[in-house]
Amino acid sequence: MLLLPKFDYYEPKELTEACRLLSETGSKAKIIAGGTDILVNMKKGLISPKVLVSLGRISRLSEVERMNKSITIGSHLIIAKLAEFDLIRKRFSILASAAKVLGSPLVRNRATIGGNIVTARPAADLPPVLMALGAKVKLKSRRSEREVALDDFFIGPGATVIKPDEILTRVIIPETPSYTGGHYIKLGHRKALEIAIVAVASKITLNKPDGVIKDAKIVLSAVAPKAVHAKSAEEVLIGEKPSAKLFEEAASLAMNDCKPITDIRGGVDYRQAMVEILTRRTLSFAWKEAKKGKKQ
Amino acid sequence: MKQFSVINTRLPRIDAHAKVTGDAQYAADLSMPNMLYGALLQSPFAHAKILNIDISKTKRLVGVKDIITAKEAGLIKYGVSPARYDETLFCDKKVRYIGDEIAAVAAVDIETALEAVSLIKVDYEPLPVILNVFDAIKEGAPAIHDDFPNNICAEVHQEFGNVEEGFKQSDYIRTDKFVNKKQDGAFLEPQACIAVYDLNENLTLYTSTQSPHYVQRTVAMVLNIPIGKIRVVQPYVGGGFGPKAAANSIELSACLLSKRTGRPVKMGFTREQVFLHSRGRHQFYHELTTGVKKDGTIVALKNTCYLDGGAYASFGIATVYYAGSLLGGPYKLANMKYDGYRVYTNKPACGAQRGHGGVVARAAWEQQLDIIAEELGMDPIEFRLKNIMQRGDVTCNDLNMSSLGMRESLEAVRDGSGWVRKKGKLPKGKGIGVACGFFVSGAGYPIYRSETFHSTAMIKLSEDGGTVDLFTAAAEIGQGSDTILSMIAAEALGVRFEDVKIHSGNTDFGVDLGAYSSRQTLMSGHAVKQAAENVKQQVLEVLSKKLNTPLEDMDIKDGLIIFKKGPVDCSSLKASYIKEHRGWAKFPTESQLTFQEAARIAYLEKGVIVGSGAYKPGELGGKYKGAAVGTSPAYGCSAQIVEVTVDMETGEVTVDNMTDAHDCGLAINRMNVEGQMQGSLSMGLGEALFEEVKFDKKGKIENPTLGEYRIPTALDMPNVNTIIIESNEPNGPFGAKEVGEGAIMPTIPAILNAIYDATGVRIKELPVTAERIYHALKEKEKGKE
Repeated sequence: MLLLPKFDYYEPKELTEACRLLSETGSKAKIIAGGTDILVNMKKGLISPKVLVSLGRISRLSEVERMNKSITIGSHLIIAKLAEFDLIRKRFSILASAAKVLGSPLVRNRATIGGNIVTARPAADLPPVLMALGAKVKLKSRRSEREVALDDFFIGPGATVIKPDEILTRVIIPETPSYTGGHYIKLGHRKALEIAIVAVASKITLNKPDGVIKDAKIVLSAVAPKAVHAKSAEEVLIGEKPSAKLFEEAASLAMNDCKPITDIRGGVDYRQAMVEILTRRTLSFAWKEAKKGKKQ
Repeated sequence: MKQFSVINTRLPRIDAHAKVTGDAQYAADLSMPNMLYGALLQSPFAHAKILNIDISKTKRLVGVKDIITAKEAGLIKYGVSPARYDETLFCDKKVRYIGDEIAAVAAVDIETALEAVSLIKVDYEPLPVILNVFDAIKEGAPAIHDDFPNNICAEVHQEFGNVEEGFKQSDYIRTDKFVNKKQDGAFLEPQACIAVYDLNENLTLYTSTQSPHYVQRTVAMVLNIPIGKIRVVQPYVGGGFGPKAAANSIELSACLLSKRTGRPVKMGFTREQVFLHSRGRHQFYHELTTGVKKDGTIVALKNTCYLDGGAYASFGIATVYYAGSLLGGPYKLANMKYDGYRVYTNKPACGAQRGHGGVVARAAWEQQLDIIAEELGMDPIEFRLKNIMQRGDVTCNDLNMSSLGMRESLEAVRDGSGWVRKKGKLPKGKGIGVACGFFVSGAGYPIYRSETFHSTAMIKLSEDGGTVDLFTAAAEIGQGSDTILSMIAAEALGVRFEDVKIHSGNTDFGVDLGAYSSRQTLMSGHAVKQAAENVKQQVLEVLSKKLNTPLEDMDIKDGLIIFKKGPVDCSSLKASYIKEHRGWAKFPTESQLTFQEAARIAYLEKGVIVGSGAYKPGELGGKYKGAAVGTSPAYGCSAQIVEVTVDMETGEVTVDNMTDAHDCGLAINRMNVEGQMQGSLSMGLGEALFEEVKFDKKGKIENPTLGEYRIPTALDMPNVNTIIIESNEPNGPFGAKEVGEGAIMPTIPAILNAIYDATGVRIKELPVTAERIYHALKEKEKGKE
């Protein structure tokens, strides 16, 4: 039997209380959200925090709010809910589609958007789509609050810029302009309960339905210590008219924008080859979406 | 066609309510007053000498009640086949794989027990680690077991007919190699147990097992306790698939700790420990050479196989035989040669897993047959039908197909899948494939040499006559034997299904070798049927006397007494029943004499009515060495057609459709037969596409979780069209035979053949991951350039 080590557990109702607890207990404390990651690691003896602070009772952290030119998602929103919000399904469909392929129904009913970000797993499903969407995260401590672009948030596997006394409270996603489309493809061994061998999230914005690419984001997952932009592929797209040939060129460049390793889920060669294929496929799909027109 | 009242229908399982509501108690759910918790210390090295074991710190830990090592447990060797008892409960001089057991402790709670084992200090001297069969058999390789200097645990050399002569007669001969990976049973319930040694020196072991009988014998032998003093009881069990068919280290440890402390001791495996204990599918390296004539007649097969057995023999002797013997059919084949070598390596021991040694051999051969059919320009189904065996045929290795709906199965899947419409006509990336297979319906011999009955059963009627208590030691492990045996009892006795109350999985209830080799429907079924017929006879004898009616003019059906030659006046018996039960709430209201009334009358006449049955197979074929593995009273068979879509860029495989026809002789419960077919297909699909236990260079398992060892999810399983074929097996109860394992035989090769049809590449290494297909497609492209 795998046992949880002993720890103190708090369920504050206010965010300020959570921040206070965290600042007072220092590095001995950890935030628990859905627990799908932290409890497993505690059972395996990989970490043993003396204090767990739950965000489960802070109701605002489970809400989605529409702000001026952005939406903000409370970090404790569970993954299953993420795909249910009309606003997210319609305006940020790649986020909804990534949420649908994360883990299993049981995991999705517990795991949270914030948890999927702060754990910083190189193959996590939400970071690549959120990076493609240009998301920022709000980090709050007892004394300060700051916003960090997700592009600057991750350092490496399990490592982020978050400080021990900070709580990731919200994810802020800017409104997408008209003629924007995106797509996320996760390649795994089986059809559910899977960790990506390779995943790619792409988003492009056209200046008009049959126009040129104004903005392009391609984020590669599980092929580097953290999700990475395929920078040279993004660059080659900007200002160009979309075409199958252009996407092939971008896809081919994307292969060199990552540094995959061989591990038990897949080999370097295969991963690199899949980056090309998935990049091309996500771009083609994103183009079709983008052509569809104006956002409401 | 026989008319049945209970069997051959679709009935919900007896355990359905308990399992879906969560009411069912599994071993890990049980607890006892004053219970201690046990934990194991297992080796962190794959191969090392043990220099010293220091338990002084553990002894001082508050709450520790007992510590046992080889010193306390002794060094009695045990295992599965008596010819290869090569395990001791705890390692003495050396460890042979990561996970080998060194000590166990019992403590007041699990936390203390786990801390206690971590305080045991063991000094090791690491030895060279052997992780590959071919390294193990190299000249000068270190011996994992001193008695086996070249690491060959068992070898088999058999020839039936004359293979060289057969090849001379062949117009076309080809050789292919095939390999799988070590696989895990991946049952949902990890092993757990509680041992209770009482003040009268009786031992009760509640354990998650497939064979209470074998566990009882092993505990008796290793701990030197008389068999009659040991009762093994099986709570609800969450799957076994083979690895739970023999005693394990926690069962033996818990029993010894309970004996020494006088308190109940509970132990359980974590999922990682399930992988370490293993006893699942071996890794097989097959090389097959098949010779055929131009017209498609299969003439000869030469099969060489090396099995990576891991550190101990477990069921491996049977496995190495099965990897040869189960290719004798279901095609007419006059000449077959087999050379098999099971080899020790420093990995967890492999054993039996659904389909046992036959699955990978079958996958290899059915794919090769597909290649041959194509080379000959024959349709794969036509090619198979040309060679197919039928009822009454005997294989070259003396397996008697006393019933065999092989042709019917193959034709059923051909017609049920739209094969003719699809084969050769699907677009690139879509494919269809076929395969056949067969399997034993119970091993013909027990795992130890004995004349023992394989199954006994006992039926006792309640004193009011209303309830039929069926006692059997058969093991319900989720496959449905409780339901099947109750149905057989009800049918044979002539009562309703709901009148039977089954008591199973307990060595006090009789002898039953357990749930392995797909034996319980046929073997336990025979014993139960006999017991029911015996009870029926006793009741009818009393009635015959009381009513002055010849016994042969009476019968029991649907809970009522039938008088074949017209009504008989039963009013006096009915009156006496009512008199007996004055003041009772519920009387039978039928105008006819009921079984309940008759059984009460019989009780009044004779005392408690008890009937028993016992079964062992009759004379079986084969006088050659190793004939005991493969011979069975009956053989189930199946054919499958699988349709797949392969993503030609990523290599991803989606199984779109499966059509499966299985000959189970007679379906006792049609729903249960379909369930077993679907379960086999799902397991085969996993073994074909995902499943592989991976090791690092030191012999440590890299994926000992169900997150990284992938079995199919609901989304990976396609619709399955299950077709039941019934051939009325003469050696089976009511004509029934196996379905539990035979149905897995064609699954892997049917998938492989469909993948080839879709892609044009032949994959000869399992699992067929997307990556493996991708590389094969790239290789093929290169070849074209």
